[in-house]
Amino acid sequence: MNLARQHYEETFVLNLGPQHPATHGVLRVKVTMDGEYVIKAEPVLGYIHRMHEKIAEQGSFAQFMPYTARMDYLHALAFNHGYCLAVERAAGIEVPERAEYIRVITVELNRVASHLLWWAAFLLDLGGFTPLLYAFDDREKVVDLLERVTGSRLTYCYFRFGGVCHDVDEEFITGTRAFIERLRKRLPTMYHSLVTGNIILIKRIKDIGFISREQCRRYGASGPVARGSGIDFDVRRHEPYSVYPELEFDVPVYPEGDSMARYMVRMDEIEQSLRIIEQALDKLPDGPIMAKVPRNLKPEAGSCYAAVETARGSLGHRLICDGGAKPYRLKLRSPTFSNLSLYGEVAEGMMIADALAFLGSLDLVIPEIDR
Amino acid sequence: MEHIQDIQELQASLISLFSALDDEAAGENVTSPATISLDHVRSGANLERLCRPEQLPAAAGILDDQSFMLESITGVDRLEQQEFELWYDFIHTGIPGYRVVLRCTLPREEAELPSLCALYPAANWHEREVFDFFGIRFADHPDLTRILLPEDADFYPLRKDYTP
Amino acid sequence: MDREAVPASLVQFASLDSLINLARANSLWPMTFGLACCAIEMMCTGGSRYDISRFGAEVFRPSPRQSDVMIVAGTINKKLELAVKTLYDQMPEPKWVIAMGNCAISGGPFKLPCNYNVVEGADQLFPVDVYIPGCPPRPEALLEGILALEEKITGTRRWPRVEPL
Repeated sequence: MNLARQHYEETFVLNLGPQHPATHGVLRVKVTMDGEYVIKAEPVLGYIHRMHEKIAEQGSFAQFMPYTARMDYLHALAFNHGYCLAVERAAGIEVPERAEYIRVITVELNRVASHLLWWAAFLLDLGGFTPLLYAFDDREKVVDLLERVTGSRLTYCYFRFGGVCHDVDEEFITGTRAFIERLRKRLPTMYHSLVTGNIILIKRIKDIGFISREQCRRYGASGPVARGSGIDFDVRRHEPYSVYPELEFDVPVYPEGDSMARYMVRMDEIEQSLRIIEQALDKLPDGPIMAKVPRNLKPEAGSCYAAVETARGSLGHRLICDGGAKPYRLKLRSPTFSNLSLYGEVAEGMMIADALAFLGSLDLVIPEIDR
Repeated sequence: MEHIQDIQELQASLISLFSALDDEAAGENVTSPATISLDHVRSGANLERLCRPEQLPAAAGILDDQSFMLESITGVDRLEQQEFELWYDFIHTGIPGYRVVLRCTLPREEAELPSLCALYPAANWHEREVFDFFGIRFADHPDLTRILLPEDADFYPLRKDYTP
Repeated sequence: MDREAVPASLVQFASLDSLINLARANSLWPMTFGLACCAIEMMCTGGSRYDISRFGAEVFRPSPRQSDVMIVAGTINKKLELAVKTLYDQMPEPKWVIAMGNCAISGGPFKLPCNYNVVEGADQLFPVDVYIPGCPPRPEALLEGILALEEKITGTRRWPRVEPL
């Protein structure tokens, strides 16, 4: 790599994006190259900035709910959940137990769908098209289940302050159990033996894109990126919310810090999510699904922070209220914004093909970065 | 049980380290109480520290030594008070779930405060975002340019007096 | 105002043209260009369940120079505006545009008084042939949009129309 850096006069700038098949949407990366080597990579954001923080200040608390799903459309329910948690914390609303369980079940189903889509898109980046067809086959099953309770396929607006808006029915429960069984069978036979052990995949992502523990901390990385670098941090476990403390699950942590570690974290998380859903279905209590919440919510003046674990990391909402019917300020701390900020430092000195494999392993959803 | 003790120890040591900052600046009018313990269940954080802008790097340095991670920087426009308010959210990586907030206010006119980029590279993009939305300047920031809005934008959209 | 009909090419062969149009309509190559949420539904449409290749439109090209149809799947904002317009200009004729989802139609949920950054509809930048409403539209709706475009190109509908209930 030092050899590559000696010839600065030979460098050229490669413009990746905003329309590029490997950037998952409209991310742009300005890459300074020396031959095949990356000398400097500089992500350029803002190509899908949609003013969410401004919109939040315009309407009532409930009116912002549908927008949350449009930020991270792959794990929309976690964004629903995070916003609900922040408002419920500010207004002091208690959520009935059944609603909490339904929230956990649906959020975890959504997490499985998100990881499956990441898996498909990541392998597509590496040049494998077939896995996409398999992953979408399984993902459609989840989408159908979620459509049954939420009414939409992708951009859910299912949670309400104090609960959820529809109850789950018997068909959803049996369907979910059948899906768990199906995916459990397919994970080792199809996902792992077809892809994880594949020598081509290992050559492409093992020992590529090394992120150290300290880098994660200094850049504020969270989620599978941090857990793939040996940081044992999962909001569900370490800053528990909802009914996660009552459910048993492991937090997969891999110390290697390379793209393979991040891949393995996500694959293990699918299994853990299935475990969580199964337990939550067993424990699902009867009772109301909505608390009594005033129609016009006016939390008292003050500020609070609420964090949830999305498929991409720790999502924070800092909500500042002034006693009125609108949020005074809502800051969305999106996980990928911080995760991507370390890209420039890590990609330096990589070959361009590796830099793209590394970019894919960060699991980016651009509207969530730009908000 | 040891876990909880750790949190209490950490909280106590942070409070004393923060108050040492005030001692250094004794004589000047300090807003008090500058360090507030919070209830995590109600506010989502454990400790809040009110800083003057010039104290910010020192306070962040204390948190850096204790292996905290910078989660986000929130700008708030307090139009009535003619002030900007900044909230820095930190989380501990060793005791995950332990959160500290640094808060500082600064006048709305010519708003400028020191950058934390040298300590936390994470601050780089967050500060650019605050600059983009509010026009608050960060001294010694390596590249204080717009991050989300187009480069030629001439407005600061999250200011309360902004209408498109 | 009377308008003169503009010929599609200098020399026209009526039956050859309709034959070529039939070929065009059944092998629309879309551009791989996902902007936001709608792009995921576009991927689903390309997946095994909805199988866009039944209608010959599965060949997603990464380059605008190889594609016939641009599916604007998501929100266009002021920063992206120029890039999208360039992509449209780079596509060779004949070319078509499908505005998928409310954002591409009118700015959708972001068409608000406080809007400072979102372009209110793809048709402010270039002509749009088919509009597919939804937020996001279901994959079936995208398929119907492609069929509608086929109908626009050939003048006849090859596939049975599903009447609304």
